[in-house]
Amino acid sequence: MIPKIYSIVIAITLVLYLSTGVLSQEDMLVIDNRPFADTTRPNAIFQHDVHNEKAEIEDCATCHHVYDEDKGEFIPDQSSEDQRCYECHDLKETGKKPGLMKAFHLKCKRCHQEQKKGPLMCGDCHRK
Amino acid sequence: MNELYQLLTGPMLWLTFFVFTFGTLYKLLSILVLTIQKEPFIMSVFSFKYGMRSILSWMTPFKPVSMKKHPVLSSVIYVFHICLFIAPLFLMAHITLLDESWGLVWPSLSDSLIDYLTLIVLACCLFYFIRRLTQKEVNYLTSQSDYILLAIVALPFFTGLMAYHQWFAYGFFLNLHILSGEIMLMAIPFTRLSHMIISPLTRAYMGSEFGEIRHAKDW
Amino acid sequence: MSEQVNKIVDKGLDQGVINLTQERIEKAINQVLNKEAGARLKSYVETCVHCGMCSEACHVYLSKDKDPIYSPAGKVKRTLSEMIQKKGKVSPEFIREASIIASTECNLCKRCAMYCPFGIDVAYLLLLVRRICHLCGVTPLYIQDTAHSHSVTMNQMWVKDDEWIDTLQWQEEEAQAEIPNLRIPLEKEGADIMYSVIGPEPKFQAHLIYYMSVIMKAAGIDWTMPATPGWDNSDMAMYTGDNEIMGRVKRMHFDTAARLKVNRIIMGECGHAFRSVHDMGNRWLGYKLPPIPVIHAIEFYHELLSSGKIKIKDQYDKKVTLHDPCNVIRGRGLGELSRKVVNTLCSNFVEMTPNREHNYCCNAGGGVINTGPPFKNKRVLSNRIKAEQMAATGADVVISPCHNCHSGLEDIVHHYKLNMEVKFIGEIIYNHMEKPTA
Repeated sequence: MIPKIYSIVIAITLVLYLSTGVLSQEDMLVIDNRPFADTTRPNAIFQHDVHNEKAEIEDCATCHHVYDEDKGEFIPDQSSEDQRCYECHDLKETGKKPGLMKAFHLKCKRCHQEQKKGPLMCGDCHRK
Repeated sequence: MNELYQLLTGPMLWLTFFVFTFGTLYKLLSILVLTIQKEPFIMSVFSFKYGMRSILSWMTPFKPVSMKKHPVLSSVIYVFHICLFIAPLFLMAHITLLDESWGLVWPSLSDSLIDYLTLIVLACCLFYFIRRLTQKEVNYLTSQSDYILLAIVALPFFTGLMAYHQWFAYGFFLNLHILSGEIMLMAIPFTRLSHMIISPLTRAYMGSEFGEIRHAKDW
Repeated sequence: MSEQVNKIVDKGLDQGVINLTQERIEKAINQVLNKEAGARLKSYVETCVHCGMCSEACHVYLSKDKDPIYSPAGKVKRTLSEMIQKKGKVSPEFIREASIIASTECNLCKRCAMYCPFGIDVAYLLLLVRRICHLCGVTPLYIQDTAHSHSVTMNQMWVKDDEWIDTLQWQEEEAQAEIPNLRIPLEKEGADIMYSVIGPEPKFQAHLIYYMSVIMKAAGIDWTMPATPGWDNSDMAMYTGDNEIMGRVKRMHFDTAARLKVNRIIMGECGHAFRSVHDMGNRWLGYKLPPIPVIHAIEFYHELLSSGKIKIKDQYDKKVTLHDPCNVIRGRGLGELSRKVVNTLCSNFVEMTPNREHNYCCNAGGGVINTGPPFKNKRVLSNRIKAEQMAATGADVVISPCHNCHSGLEDIVHHYKLNMEVKFIGEIIYNHMEKPTA
């Protein structure tokens, strides 16, 4: 009974520990968090060019999308890289449009999930 | 690491919700069925008024004589249970995740406050641990399972603290945090942690006996 | 501890163990834990978090220098938990020990139910242990004898039918020396009240019936006593775990009152008998409350005194204190009424602390005193706290409106040399009331 419990505990610990990746320590560029009045977490790491090069993202609209509110869909072939995210996304959710924080989170994490690449855990972007 | 994270926050989380919800329902239902089958008199004794009278009396700090006899323990129990619920339920990170998945939002407390609440929970666990070791009457009743249960409760808070501050191995502690939280939730219906579900019933039953039949106080 | 207990010779236990087989133990435990018990057992066993808060409630624990084996949960650990863990595979010797623990180290007073945050009823759990021991045939001899008496004679003390009537007539004659036209009406159909007593009253304390007859006469009560079995309201089978006999005894008692077509039953100053009609026996028979109102003496005295049916000519002036018996105070909330009665009767009343629902147990009730001489020493030694509590009042008299408490307190007074008298309320009323001359 006792050895069994201990061996399970040790096994879980090992698996979890070995799966910890070694994180890169390059120069950081971060998401602009000035629109947020007060922040509880450090701003998220995001090296724009490095990221897009690595992720092979050519189309700006992948992130800088334009949304047609009447039709309720993203407009293909249009992009909004001349605008800041907070110009559309308010701090609070309005209707179907997610608030700024949620927009960031969903945009990054959904893509990372689909691509099976990039961080998902809170602290991997909001690094202390 | 991400794969594990996705496993823990995906299928494992669903499993946890499933086990917790249906475990709790099963527990309640089995008590109800047993009552009807074997002790139907309990139904005739049960009184909402006196059940609530007892529960409220026992929730009022230091109203019961038993609490006055154990001032330190009672205070710890009080603070512990309050922090135990507030810390996870009002942590911004948890609410953010719920919002992103299900669009559920409610107000959160500041991270630094929750940090303190977490430390309080851990300090209370340490108190319980020391009490189990040193108080004669508690030590006599204690079995290995009591320590395991205490660890099951303390671990999500300890790992949550480590993950939040990103001390040592962040990913490791975050995943362990999620896993241990899931273990705790799944353990609730099937261990003595089920006092979370059952104790209001036992208290209300005793309150009904004392109020309805015995015309006496039970605190 | 266990060495000392094992030295106690008790034929009921010793012979019971010799006759006991492994199959019988498993069958008994299985019968009680899996077939009879239900939601309460499951809830209590699965929710107790071993916090130890019940300890402070127990007079045995407190008297035994806080030895943890005597805490309420400690007693469950030593009996029921072990049976559950081992799935009934325990030894005959274990059953003997469990019987001693359940029958002599717990009075089922339910004080601990008030100290457990979850309201876990340890008394109920230890009653299950007594039930298991009963099915194993391992019950202390003396209390088993009273249960046998109940099953044969429907009274606790082997009182024969004619002896019962004889005793009542004897007391009637005695009382007639004082009040010539006093009667103890037997078998009076349609009387307002049936008065019932416990078996030991006609056996050892017949004068108490005399006192009550004078009180009834003075108050002009339309009352009767049955001349048939069913007169005894006590029920020791309730405490041996012999629920079947408990039920038979109770049914006979209620049936007798119904046969006499009375409006209510008044019972003497006894605690466990009240428990048997108000809590356990009635439920066994399927009644939430007794089918005929059963009024405890405390409430009856209060009724007589507050309505002026009984007048007190001179108050009792000795310094008195009051013991709160579990079965009528924690069991029926008569704490305020008993104080009103005592304050009417006595001029110098002091409380003992703690009191009312929180009073310490007498350590005699719950059938413990009925386990008799083999356990007397242990019983008295394991209630030092009660002696200290009583001594602290500085009272000359302790009033105890319960037979078991009365006898238990007398033993404690004697052992700890407290120099106190133990009295029933009825005695004081009798001695200080205005009596009719005819």
